[in-house]
Amino acid sequence: MSGATRSTGRALFLAALVVFALLPFQWMLVASLKPGDEQLLHGNPWWVGAPYWSNYLGLANPAGPFGHWLMNTVLVMAATLGISLVASLLAAFALAYMRVPLGRGLAVALFATYLLPQGVLFLPLVNMLSRLHLLNSPLTLVLTYPGLVIPFGTWVLWSFFRGLPRDLVDLARVEGAGTVSLLGRVVLPLALPALAAITLFGVAIVFNDYLYAFAFISDERSQTIVAALGSTSTDINDAGTLFAAVLVGVAPLAIVCAFFADTYARGLGSGVIET
Amino acid sequence: MSLARQRLLGLLLLAPALVFVLGVVAYPLAQALWLSLTNAQVGETGRFIGLANYRYLLDQGTYHDAFRNTVAYTVAGTLLKAAVGLGTALALVRPFLGRRFVYAALFMPFVFPTVIGTISWYYLFSNVHGGLNYVLLSLHLIRESVPFLGTGASAMAGLVTVNVWHGSALFAVLILAGLRTVPRDVLDVATTDGATSFQRFRHVVLPALVPALALGAMLSIAGTFGDFAIVHLLTGGGPANSTTILSTMAFQTALRDGDLGTAAAVALSVLPLYAAGLAYMLTLVRR
Repeated sequence: MSGATRSTGRALFLAALVVFALLPFQWMLVASLKPGDEQLLHGNPWWVGAPYWSNYLGLANPAGPFGHWLMNTVLVMAATLGISLVASLLAAFALAYMRVPLGRGLAVALFATYLLPQGVLFLPLVNMLSRLHLLNSPLTLVLTYPGLVIPFGTWVLWSFFRGLPRDLVDLARVEGAGTVSLLGRVVLPLALPALAAITLFGVAIVFNDYLYAFAFISDERSQTIVAALGSTSTDINDAGTLFAAVLVGVAPLAIVCAFFADTYARGLGSGVIET
Repeated sequence: MSLARQRLLGLLLLAPALVFVLGVVAYPLAQALWLSLTNAQVGETGRFIGLANYRYLLDQGTYHDAFRNTVAYTVAGTLLKAAVGLGTALALVRPFLGRRFVYAALFMPFVFPTVIGTISWYYLFSNVHGGLNYVLLSLHLIRESVPFLGTGASAMAGLVTVNVWHGSALFAVLILAGLRTVPRDVLDVATTDGATSFQRFRHVVLPALVPALALGAMLSIAGTFGDFAIVHLLTGGGPANSTTILSTMAFQTALRDGDLGTAAAVALSVLPLYAAGLAYMLTLVRR
């Protein structure tokens, strides 16, 4: 095969993949620019001649639920990422450098918990959270999501630390660095790519959960935007506003994350795959 | 610092992670195990009934269907994602104009909420003014709308499509990281020795990708096996339970029938098989 045919083939292949990946987004964009449920009933679902901007303008209406959904989503996302990053970093540091008994076993056990299907956990969690009177609050998700992110985060960071030259840490210790400055000045700057990868993974976990958000919170005002849109009580007749809300509330973060795909590959690769 | 102090400090640093993992993973897991051995209903604690829930499931046709569907969904989804991801990674490995944008576009489905993506796919597949039917009708390829989610086999194909749409980028990203571990010198020697590009791929590149593929497979199996969003929103397990998987069955048994003991047994029944599969993959990642 000549070089030219090969690169044409590659371009066509990638073009087909891009169309497949973006198909639902084009549909949602068109839906958001049509009034009410027009997108679900008539007209060209892939194009809109005269955009109907009111869906976007209506989002600013303080009486609507969108403000609550967005606030809840931002709160849950920020708290989950903050808690998970700190807890994972401390735990991985301890497992790699502090001679914790059974360190290696603990690291693998932690990772194993990541792989537990949520379907096993949600039932007892509903019981437990209802006894603690925590159901129906976004706080519930702030307490449960880190349990999904920390195991993976700790494992990635631990693998990353094990790949670092041992001398680096020993040298810092000989020079008299305490644990805090070892963590803050030596290890943390090196771990930034891994932390970025875990952040992306955390965003994906929070955005991809449906079971917890759906099972733990039924009160409309306490829902995250994802669960709200996925719940049957949401009025699909107003598809225009719904998808406008999605594109304003969720898409920007997703797009930013998408441009960091390389960072993600590097963060995971440098620890987990390249050891 | 003395060893004892170092260990103590180490445990202290581990504490936040352990609190979360014990509190919202380990403890609920133990609770689920206990529930599965009782006849608990919503609002009733229930009493110990041994393995009766598991025995009951063995006689249930729905359970056998759900088990088969879960395996089919997980295996088909994972293999297709691996294939698409491998193709994507090989196409993206060398720089070209606009690579950043192509990469970002392909990664979008992974970082975008599955729920919303699935709702959108539902309307693409719909036979009432659905997006795909609109295209096929406009091109005169079909005369009337096809109910893509209306029959068992095509509904399952629909689920797998959305699953691949969502997850193949993760494979691509991991494989791209893995491609950087391919030994260049070996590749060069192979080229000088006259190895064809397929031979080079098969004997040099692919072995180097095993950890990346195994990690991708683990994450894919974990995500697909335990998937709830795509199935619940796209088909709801229908038509006639032909796409019910274990997680949607557990959810329905718990919330629709209120039968918590059986629901816990549904969720836990395949855990040993699942764990064995993942443990094997882990040995490939960390070989």
